[in-house]
Amino acid sequence: MSEMQQTAGASGTATVGRQGFLRALAGRLADMNFAVTVILSTWFVLVIVPIVVLFAFSFFTTVQFRTVYEPTLDTWIGLFSSGRWEVTLRTLRIALTVTVIELLIAFPFALWLAKGCRSGTVQAVCLAMLTIPFFLDMSSRTIVWRAILGQSGLVNTMLLGTGLVDTPVEWLLYSEVAVHFGMVVSLFPPMVMPIYLAINLIDDTLLEASNDLGASPWQTLSRIIIPLSLPGVMAGVVFCLGPALAAWVEPGMLGGGFVNLISNSIESAYSALRYPVVAALSAFVILLLLLLLAAMYLIARRFGDPSSVSVFRG
Amino acid sequence: MKSQHSLNLRPISPKLEPSYAPVWKRLGKWGGFAMLALIYFPLLWLILLSISQNPLGGIPGSFSLEHYRALFSNSAWHKPMLASLAIGVLVGLVCAVAATIIGRALPTLNSPGRVLFMFVVPLFVPGMSMGAALFILARAVLNLKLGFWSVALGHFVWAFPFALLIVLVVTVRFDHRLVEAGRDLGASNWRVFWDIEFPILMPGIVSAALFGFLMSFNEVMRSIFLRGTAETMPVWSWIQAAAQQSQVPIIFSLASLVLLVTLPLLCGVFWLLFARVGRS
Repeated sequence: MSEMQQTAGASGTATVGRQGFLRALAGRLADMNFAVTVILSTWFVLVIVPIVVLFAFSFFTTVQFRTVYEPTLDTWIGLFSSGRWEVTLRTLRIALTVTVIELLIAFPFALWLAKGCRSGTVQAVCLAMLTIPFFLDMSSRTIVWRAILGQSGLVNTMLLGTGLVDTPVEWLLYSEVAVHFGMVVSLFPPMVMPIYLAINLIDDTLLEASNDLGASPWQTLSRIIIPLSLPGVMAGVVFCLGPALAAWVEPGMLGGGFVNLISNSIESAYSALRYPVVAALSAFVILLLLLLLAAMYLIARRFGDPSSVSVFRG
Repeated sequence: MKSQHSLNLRPISPKLEPSYAPVWKRLGKWGGFAMLALIYFPLLWLILLSISQNPLGGIPGSFSLEHYRALFSNSAWHKPMLASLAIGVLVGLVCAVAATIIGRALPTLNSPGRVLFMFVVPLFVPGMSMGAALFILARAVLNLKLGFWSVALGHFVWAFPFALLIVLVVTVRFDHRLVEAGRDLGASNWRVFWDIEFPILMPGIVSAALFGFLMSFNEVMRSIFLRGTAETMPVWSWIQAAAQQSQVPIIFSLASLVLLVTLPLLCGVFWLLFARVGRS
């Protein structure tokens, strides 16, 4: 499209044969295959190449702030030996806990939204409310929780006021609980949306048939709704687990330095100019995500409807 | 729950009952509503705190516009704000144009699934990893000087999948017989696009531009890696919030203002998408 801007700018200065030029331009634009190829190759350079380079870079090392371009496994071994292993385990534990909690809340809600909600307006408003948070600034939304969960915050003031506790509850902020909580709140929409879309695609007549044939609601749920919505559930898990593994705003603002996750390691390696470590940690997050996804895919293929899984793959 | 319902076979209901037990239905509904409340409550609280005297105390009270006055007498945020606006507008426009081109072509391709997958890959890669990947390519491999251009590229990679998906909503439903009719009546390719396709696709294209702008405007994870020494609005707020507590009231006011502009804009997009597209 940069070409389009350039040619449009050139047409502004050209005075002779402007009509003919515009027509030629229109013809060129109508032949969209050219533009599609340009965008596709730009995209390849911007997305696929960096990810490949990221993986390649993780096999280098740094010596005295300089990157040594010699393939070695040192950086990867370093990830598993030092204190980083503890950080990795903590990240994995928190991310998985958050994902399970999300799934437990999101699936029933998505089911209700797609099949149980009778009012189209309520449905549209819910969908809009689930989409809007994508476009709002994470840090300003998260920093407010400090004012709500802090020692003199809303929750503690209410607890003290009602006499439930004598001293402010301290574990509400700057703790793992707070990090879990912040992540559960911010990752709810990405979990609900794909599940909702998958359940919404299930034909009502299938549920009707199941009901007519005497299936209990529980049987309909476990034999029809869950298998058919598995692709959506898997997409939701990816959209929740990925950001959770790389969470940075929540541990930074609600963990208060007490909850170190992989993202904090990436950041400190970044400021120490140890780029191979940055690459290895980032690649590790992607690998973890792929690994968990592969595991889920196998489980889904074992228990789910094979055709719905192939839709997800294709 | 289970035994109660599998024991007595229910009579065939004339209207489709949601096929799960009522208690679960209510639990699912109210659980989701509770989460929505938890998502939106901080926004309300943010605005309340921004107009109270002592926002760090935690409880809004003795309202005043003092922090807004402090915000407007402080000019440190002007430059990051302008930078964010400029990058956002650029990313929004590029997203809209590119998404229109790809969105129109995609349904006619041989293997649309694979191409679409390639375009939505950034949705699956955590922001931090994507930022680091672009950073390593630009800084460590190509040895370029980072700045606003790299931030804009990072934002484009993040926003484009969303823009494309939104445009696809309208292009997939587009009736190609209209184009054929236009051609049969002797219209040129450009006229067919401009007079027939564009007005129909317009809601999707405008939404793609607005979404692109908003995704870019609020992005912080990728910017941190790609900014070099440049500062965008969210990065500035982040640094202020992390470094000095005294700046937090100003950030509350600034974030509230941004919110009050962003929310109506988003509602407009949804109205455009659901009301206009839904009707056509």
